[in-house]
Order: sequence, then C-alpha cells, then structure tokens
Amino acid sequence: MNLKTKNATATLGLPLLAITAVVPLVVKDAYTLHSLTMIIYFAYMASAWNFVCGYVGQMSLGHSVFAGVSGYVTVLLFTGTGLSPWGGMLLGGCMAAVLSTFIGYPTFKLKGPYFTLTTIAFAEIVRIWLENTDEFMGIPLKGAQGLVVPPSPLGWQVFQFDGKVAYYYIALALLIVMLAATIALERSRLGYYLKAIRGDRNGAEALGINPTRYSLVALSISAFMTGLGGAFYAQFFRYINPERNMGLDLSIDTAIMSIVGGQGTVLGPVLGALILHPLAELTRSYLGGRFLGLHLIIYGVVLIVAVLYFPKGVIVPLERWLQRSGKSKR
Amino acid sequence: MDPIILMYAIINGVLLGGIYGGVALGLSLIFGVLRVINFAHGSFLMLAMYASYALWTAFGIHPYAGVLVTVPLLFAFGYFTQAVIIAPLFKRETALVVEPLGALLLTTGVFLVIDNGVLMTFGPDVRSVSTEFASGSISVMSLPINIPRLIGCLSALLIAVGLAYWLRHTDTGRSIRATAQNRDAAALSGIHVGKVYNITFGIGAAILGVFGALLVPFLSITPTTGLSFGIKSFLVVVLGGIGSIPGSLLGGILLGVFESVASQFVTATSASVFSFCLFIAVLLVRPNGLLGRK
Repeated sequence: MNLKTKNATATLGLPLLAITAVVPLVVKDAYTLHSLTMIIYFAYMASAWNFVCGYVGQMSLGHSVFAGVSGYVTVLLFTGTGLSPWGGMLLGGCMAAVLSTFIGYPTFKLKGPYFTLTTIAFAEIVRIWLENTDEFMGIPLKGAQGLVVPPSPLGWQVFQFDGKVAYYYIALALLIVMLAATIALERSRLGYYLKAIRGDRNGAEALGINPTRYSLVALSISAFMTGLGGAFYAQFFRYINPERNMGLDLSIDTAIMSIVGGQGTVLGPVLGALILHPLAELTRSYLGGRFLGLHLIIYGVVLIVAVLYFPKGVIVPLERWLQRSGKSKR
Repeated sequence: MDPIILMYAIINGVLLGGIYGGVALGLSLIFGVLRVINFAHGSFLMLAMYASYALWTAFGIHPYAGVLVTVPLLFAFGYFTQAVIIAPLFKRETALVVEPLGALLLTTGVFLVIDNGVLMTFGPDVRSVSTEFASGSISVMSLPINIPRLIGCLSALLIAVGLAYWLRHTDTGRSIRATAQNRDAAALSGIHVGKVYNITFGIGAAILGVFGALLVPFLSITPTTGLSFGIKSFLVVVLGGIGSIPGSLLGGILLGVFESVASQFVTATSASVFSFCLFIAVLLVRPNGLLGRK
C-alpha cells in the first residue's frame, strides 16, 4: 500500500466512520435504522468477498453458501442445544471456513469463468439439497420452509435485542473488523502474494509462491467472515431459508457491490454497497409492489456501466479527485 | 428395475438431451469465436419463450409459426447485445488491457436486466401454451414418444448440421471460422472482425429463437426458466467441449439421459444435484470436455 492510497483511504474512511458511529444518536426511526444496518451488512459482505476475490482476481459466485451454512449452524445449535448464538456464530464461521477449503482446493486450479461457474455449482448443490431435505440425521432442517429463531427473553447472551440500535452497532463492529483485516492484508506478506497471483499466476509460481495454498488461506478467512455475516443476518431477521440466505442472488449482490465499488481496495466494496443498496431500498419501498425486480435491473445496468467505464471500480476516480483537491488546497 | 421403464427413460432422455444440445449450440459458438461466456444465454432462451407465448396469446399464432418472428427478433437482440454492450470491451482489450472476467460480468448484467425485466412485465406466474398436440405421441415398439419433444430433438440435429455446413461452405461462415482461429490475422486479411462478432452473437441468439418456440408447447415458462436452462447449457458445453458442434449435441444427450435415468431412482430435484456434481467432476478431470482437444 503506497502512501497516496493510504491517505485516500484515511481521508475517505475516517469521516465516514465517524458519521456512521453517531447516526443512531440522531436517527430514531426504526425503518431508517433497519435500512442503514442493511447497508452496513452488505458493505461487510462485499468486503468479505473482496478479501479473497478482489485480491486473487478470481470471481466467486458461490459465497452465499458460506453465509447460509453458518446461519443454519447458528440457528440449529441455538434451538437444538441452547448454545448462545455468539458461540454458534463462531462455530458456523469455522464450518464455513472448513467447507471453503474443500470447495477451494479443487476449484482454484481453474481459471476465469470456469472458476466462477464451479463456485456457482457448489453453492447450488448445497442449496438444492437443503431446500429438499426436511430432516437430516435427526436434525430438523425444514427444507424450503426455512428456520425461525425462537423468541426468548431479550439480552446479549441470546443475541436478541429490543429495537435496531444494537444490531446496527454489531454490524458496524463486524465491518470495522473486516476493514482492519483488509488493511492488515494489504500490508502483509499474504497480501503481496495474492496480488502477485492476480498479476501473473505463472510468474508468481516461478517465484516460489504456491497459488492454491495462499488463495486457500485467503478464502478460508473470507468464508469465516462471510459466515459471521450470515449468522448476523439470521439473528437480525430471526428467520432464514435456503433461497434468501444461500441463493445465487446474494452471491451476485455482494460480488456486484464489490466490483462496482472497486475490488482489491479497502474501501471499494463499502462504496459499492453505499451506492447500490440504497438504490435497492428506495425502489423497493417506493415502487416495490408494482415493479418486481426493478432494483435488480438497476444493479444490472450499473454493473454494465461500471465494467465499461470504471473497470477498476468507482473508487479509483474518486480517490484521484480527492488527491487533486487535496493538492490544490495546499 | 423394469427394462421397459428404463428404455422409456432413456428415449425420453435422448429426446430432451438433443434439445439441451441444440440450446447449448449458441453458447458454444459464441465462446468458440469470441471467447466470451454468455451468462445471459438462458435469459435469451427465456425471452424467446415469452415472445412465442405472447404471439400465441395476443394473435393466436402457433409457436411453430411464430419462429418466423422469434428468430429475427432474437438475432437482432444478440446482435445488439454484442454491438452495443460487449464490443466496447473488445476495443479496450486491443489496447492490451486484459480483463478476462469483464465479458462475464457484462453478460451477468444483461442477465439481471432481462430476467428481472421479464419478471416486471409478466410477473412471477407460471405460464403455458396449450396446443392440442402437446401430449400427442406416436408409439414405436409399444413405447410412446412425445411428438413435440421428437420435433425438438430432430430440429436440434438439423440445426447443428446446417450450422456446421454453413460455417464450412459460405463466405460469412469462413470469416467466422477465420476470426475464431486468429483474430488479428483475420483482421489483416480484410475481415471486419467487429462485424463478424456481431453476426456470431446474433446467430447464437437466433438459434434460441427456434428453441424457445419448440419448447413452449410442452414446457411451462416462468422468469427463472432461463437461468436453469443457462446453467444446463454451461454443463452441456463443458461436457462436450467448448466450441465443438457435435460435442454440444453429445453433451446434451449425455446430460439428458443422465437426468432422465437418475430421476427414475431419486427425485427430479436430487437428480439436478447429481448433474451439478457431474459438471464439477468433468471440469476438474477433463476441463477441455469429453471431445475437446488438449
């Protein structure tokens, strides 16, 4: 990470962070807070996706499976054994990380579109299986119907709160951890390895970097983080089902946000979520019932425009503009 | 298992598989020439199906006659998609900015726009065209054979042969093959590469115009029909080897038989899990397809 982009990350990120931290003190409306929490959640998921895909330069459209598996583990452990969702979340994340190693080991040998299609296939296998399985080895999965988080006395231990503020801050904390991890990645050996693999896979291999191994390390961290997000989502909505928590839509949403914002950068995915999710919320709340799927049309158009005109993400021209205005002030 | 039921499942699988192969032809052609994986392939098919449905409900035109409309429509659609949306990427690529995933992302965008555009216009309801001969069948050796499926499978064969002949013996076909082999050399010998790309994309989509009309009589349509057919087409193309016309048909028939026989033992949804497993296995073991060259 060179000094220029570091400055840009700081000048862009710190004020944004300060604003986000005080918003709940001003905004009391539950719907607005809910929408803001969803923006933070998507920023987090896009950043987790970016952690491996953005830096290795391979596009996974199967990340939703990590969120889904972890969400199911959390809810099932809570209903089955009474384990606190916090513990379930960590266990779920670990499960997602293990699963990601199994998926990633054979898949990282494939390149470009082949990699993408295989990740879709893996995620679809798990989703279709779950959708059609009511019970597995005595565990009630309830198929397409989904699972409901049973109501219990509110409190920290059970991850259930009155109002939206607590969820908002949990999502924000997750996002901060994710961004810190990304900044650490940028400066670490692993980050340089990943960028080398993205730049020239064969060249990196010739220098003694094992592409599959380091991609797998990044993938398992990314899957763990995505898993935490999936568990959070399950607790936030108190309901999960295979379609919403594991479907292709979730994978595509997070990937698009990351790509539009700028993959392989710290703040790109956040910016992408900040641009795209409000569009989705607005179309849904104002036009929702009448125009089904309109927000996805907008996503599609934004994606096409971004790939054609901002191939490195919207963050690049923004950072350049910030630098220029910073210079002219001096 | 009863051999007659198994026989019936295999015949049905071959018929449906032939159609899968035919649907995948365009995907294979486009990849072979442009090196672009069209993620919106299934959406194009779904669009063709809705077009024939609309023709049937609005004007009472039989889907088979509607081909006269759907084929030019889909050709124009494919041509437009390439010329307006994907071509700028190729122009940038000549300036040596290599972006292998760029085209996949663009077609993902097209997929989102088409699928949700149709969802917005027609709603999520399942629709179907009921023609009198949809359930008609002839019997061969006491096994019933569904006529619309038979027609679909034979058309796939016919289109594959026609496409291969056309690519081999016409000027446009030759320039398409030349461009597929070496884009720069083709450009140097006076072939307008951009135009060849547009035409190839158009033809790849136009084939779906035929199959949209052929599928409608026996398959109900929803806005998500496209994605499932799209994923099946990737599977077919990977099985048969990307860019190969006979490979596409063979891959289709293999998948069709596999699905049809597997669904005799397990439920149809679990069978689709198995076809995904097949897809992953083939990609990992033989990434160039069963007929593909190394």
